Amino acid sequence: MQSNATLEYDYTIAKLYMWTAVIFGIVGMTIGVLIASQLAFPDLNYLFGEYGTFSRLRPMHTNVVIYGFTVSGIFSTFYYVSQRVLKVSMGESKLLMGLGKLQFGLYLIAATGMVVSLAMGITASKEYAQMEWPLDALIVVIWVIWGVIMFGLIGLRREKTLYISLWYYIATFLGVAMLYLFNNAEVPTIFFSGGLGAWYHSVSMYAGTNDALVQWWWGHNAVAFVFTVPIIAIIYYFLPKESGQAIYSYKLSLLSFWGLMFVYLWAGGHHLLWSTVPDWMQTMGSVFSVILILPSWGSAINMLLTMKGEWNQLTKNPLVKFMVLASTFYMLSTLEGPIQAVKSVNAIAHFTDWIPGHVHDGVLGWVAFMIFAAIMHMAPRVFKREIYSKSLLESQFWIQTIGVVLYFTSMWIAGITQGMMWRAVDEYGNLVYSFIDTVSVLHPYYALRALGGLLYLIGMFMFAYNFFKTATAGRRLEQEPRYRSPMA
Amino acid sequence: MFHWLEKNPFFFAVGVFIVIAYAGLIEILPNFAEAARPVKGLKPYTVLQLAGKEVYKKDNCIACHSQLIRPFKAETDRYGQYSLSGEYAYDRPFLWGSKRTGPDLHRVGNYRTPDWHANHMWNPKSVVPDSIMPAYKHQFTNVADLETAYAEAVTVKKVFGTPYGADIAPGKAAYEKELKTKILPEALKIATEMKRDDLIKMVKAGKVPEVVALVAYLEKLK
Amino acid sequence: MVTTVEIEQLRIYMYVIGTALAVGIFYYYIIYLYRSEKKGDKDYEKYSNLALDDELDSKILEKNPKIENDKKE
Repeated sequence: MQSNATLEYDYTIAKLYMWTAVIFGIVGMTIGVLIASQLAFPDLNYLFGEYGTFSRLRPMHTNVVIYGFTVSGIFSTFYYVSQRVLKVSMGESKLLMGLGKLQFGLYLIAATGMVVSLAMGITASKEYAQMEWPLDALIVVIWVIWGVIMFGLIGLRREKTLYISLWYYIATFLGVAMLYLFNNAEVPTIFFSGGLGAWYHSVSMYAGTNDALVQWWWGHNAVAFVFTVPIIAIIYYFLPKESGQAIYSYKLSLLSFWGLMFVYLWAGGHHLLWSTVPDWMQTMGSVFSVILILPSWGSAINMLLTMKGEWNQLTKNPLVKFMVLASTFYMLSTLEGPIQAVKSVNAIAHFTDWIPGHVHDGVLGWVAFMIFAAIMHMAPRVFKREIYSKSLLESQFWIQTIGVVLYFTSMWIAGITQGMMWRAVDEYGNLVYSFIDTVSVLHPYYALRALGGLLYLIGMFMFAYNFFKTATAGRRLEQEPRYRSPMA
Repeated sequence: MFHWLEKNPFFFAVGVFIVIAYAGLIEILPNFAEAARPVKGLKPYTVLQLAGKEVYKKDNCIACHSQLIRPFKAETDRYGQYSLSGEYAYDRPFLWGSKRTGPDLHRVGNYRTPDWHANHMWNPKSVVPDSIMPAYKHQFTNVADLETAYAEAVTVKKVFGTPYGADIAPGKAAYEKELKTKILPEALKIATEMKRDDLIKMVKAGKVPEVVALVAYLEKLK
Repeated sequence: MVTTVEIEQLRIYMYVIGTALAVGIFYYYIIYLYRSEKKGDKDYEKYSNLALDDELDSKILEKNPKIENDKKE
């Protein structure tokens, strides 16, 4: 029997995912800066022959930052937070530990397969669901193992009540499972054609408008269940813990959880406004998108009020700074989203650069900032070392904040400019601009956006260096810090 | 009463699932019967066009080009008749795209010619001087994967009842026959219209360059 | 055979009833939460501490009855 003194939380798997988050973060964001620069300076398309064009690299960028960086960040925090709020150590169950390692191994294989197949142009072509069926099948296995671990740990819990963060992890698990299975339903061609053609090729179960409906139901809700729900799980644990302040209102967190679960899914229709899907559904998509502000702001306000009376921490602790700014960006993008979903605004905004702009103020300002803060909070506890440099964290914060602001302001202007130019007519009702006019005018904004991205990437490198140094050369800690993370 | 859920993870999970599945049940499923009907006279893609669609997917044209004309005057003036649901009945997957860095392509076959495409794919700046689109020269030498496209045609015929003729059947022999009698002649016609000797030569040698398949597909978009 | 018109009607009914039900439950839930705390039946806010006291040897707020507490062993 293990004695009481040696039983402690086992962070082996959390640690592994922290490393992959950092590595995929660098890779994904580097590609991002490259493709942003290609729009401003097209000659950059020819760096890697057929593998280096904007079109081939764009899904690589989105997939690596979503399934590499973000999902790694989510898993690392899950393997850290779930043990602590349930008061169970992974080390207590050999089975769960083994499954955890298996899950990480399969994750690495799937991620490698994803990068290689996208580089070769093997793609199912549905956005954020580009992987072909063999990889899809592997991802289902990874996800099921995650579910077994999650409910296994919950089964062993010492604390009866599940903490808020776990509700959101459970919702992530269920939501992605349901959406992923539906959207990736596909028929491998090799089984029906008498063994002809490429073995990995498949056709979608759905055609045309139906396919679009299912895809944007996925596209929208993948954003919900990868970029919103699990990140809220992260902030509900890390902000209170780092600041030593209990969450402002547990009741409000209950209400915003159920509110978000019910409303978010309805809003999917807003991606298909003015398309060929039925009118009433488009309208419903708009209406629910606006209602969605309530539960989103419920969580964000809960976070900000948690800091009530403790705002001085904002000046002293860069991690709190990251998290407070992240909640602010969350409020901004959950306000911006519904505005774009209003039909008349959407008529201008859809297909323009305002959309990537909106996505990026969410992911750069909210998702990535939260993951940075969470990893830096975990690092001293996991490696038992002090954070290597506070000043590096401070500078990273400011450089990246400037980067995000440059990014979304330039894309706002670019998007609205282009949307207006497409529809501009002269006094006789003829179109004023040819399409290429609306492209050429965007050059300065594309250049600014690339600059913003570059600043953010520099911050990412600073973070990676800081993390590496913390893990290897930070001052050793005798005792686990209770709230605020120690930093040199 | 309600607080019970957070202490009982199983029922909590069931509750979450019901709440999130409900929207999909109402929003997505009932629509399927309605939207899948093709418009009158819509023909399925030929094998060569399917291979072209694969090139379109492989080089990921949807990163910058949409295939969805919205019902606004500014769009119908620029691109033609707005898109109808039934026009996409044979599109698996749909290729509407979500971003127009370049123009919409849903009816590009109406106003561009194969030789224009040939010049444009070889060097976009030669026809649109300010273009920021990269050149796709590798499509002129890479060979299109016709066998996989054929396999796709067989699959959609079998599984979804897409109306192909009896010539689309499983097995290598049926494919070889289709290749000789239909695919290569169609490719030769497109290659000739593209007015490039290197392409014609390749097709005559039995190898269809990716760009020829792609143009066959773009020509079908009307 | 169900016609598409019938499906469309069914869907609208389900939508209206489902949404009304959800809104009703939700408001009842809000009132219930705040009222039961006012009456002193429940203290929800104590659960916020789950994030703060999360060491293996922290005091357990409410023991999970299914797991015997093996810490004494």
